[in-house]
Amino acid sequence: MGLRDDIAKVLIPESEVQKRVAELGQEINATYSDEDRLLLICVLKGAFVFLADLIRHLEVRHEVDFMEISSYGARTESSGVVRILLDLAQSIQGRHVLIVEDIIDSGRTLDYITRNLGTREPASLQACTLLSKPDRREIEVPVDFVGFEVPDEFVVGYGLDFAEEYRNLPFIGVLREDVVQTRIGE
Amino acid sequence: MEIPNSVEKVLLDEETIAARVGELAAQISADYADNDGLILIGVLKGAFIFLADLARRLTVSHHVDFIALSSYNRGTANAGAVRLIMDTRTSVTGQHVLVVEDIVDTGCTLHYLLRTFHARKPASLRSCVLLSKPDRRQIEVQVDYLGFEIPNAWVVGYGLDYADRFRTLPYIGELRREAYE
Repeated sequence: MGLRDDIAKVLIPESEVQKRVAELGQEINATYSDEDRLLLICVLKGAFVFLADLIRHLEVRHEVDFMEISSYGARTESSGVVRILLDLAQSIQGRHVLIVEDIIDSGRTLDYITRNLGTREPASLQACTLLSKPDRREIEVPVDFVGFEVPDEFVVGYGLDFAEEYRNLPFIGVLREDVVQTRIGE
Repeated sequence: MEIPNSVEKVLLDEETIAARVGELAAQISADYADNDGLILIGVLKGAFIFLADLARRLTVSHHVDFIALSSYNRGTANAGAVRLIMDTRTSVTGQHVLVVEDIVDTGCTLHYLLRTFHARKPASLRSCVLLSKPDRRQIEVQVDYLGFEIPNAWVVGYGLDYADRFRTLPYIGELRREAYE
């Protein structure tokens, strides 16, 4: 596939991603009970691939809902201002809620979502992310389940995109610097 | 994984689904090999698992987008009327659009979607549906890529739910009649 030529290196191979997703599933199974009727909230678009695999490892009773948000601008989260394009289909008052994210970068998006959902009085509110870039953090935000900590590099694949490409790569890769520069210049 | 009591039987198991999704992806990759600007539009909530698996098997460059719908007056005579809750993020004009749905039942939803996107003048417009219940069809609708034809039973799993339950079962199961009657 042509897209793979744009990858400088594979940061996390497919088998490791799958193994870790299974482990996260087990951690979630151990944290919640069927009576909690856990509600997973997938933040679109990036988290849908992660969610589709994570649920295969969940034995605890759960439901899924979706939120689509947009930070004003391209991929940077710098402003922290988030627009909700799609809100949840249901009320979360009294529900045990787990936010499912692909990546935590500055932390501002998750912070906003956490505060927003917190006002809706869930019984509990936790967050699960596949990737975290601690070096980029600008705001302290609790993340209860983390797949991998990754360095501050341009990562794509497994739901993460660059200009909407590379989402479907089954591994986490680092994009070549010249590809980033060329495409930013377009 | 344990099969819930409400599930009468497994209609399509994980391996069968994965194999068919792979075949669909190969067909789509071949058909769109020479086209730029393929955009897969997943219909929430049901299609997200199918879309995640399908997209990962595609060898052609593509974008992914989502739409969310709600039907008016579910369960009444007007059940076919559809309300668009979230539109696509990007314009589909001039793009090769492939609508990805979990199931086509009466055909009303898919018919609505195809009409909606057709009006936006895409370069091409096709649909890819995992399951079809031909016995339930009320309206003729074009399905270009179909996973499986299934009988008229209440099916759950692999994105399909009953009152938001059973959506994430890794297989397609048939719900017991007692569970929904």
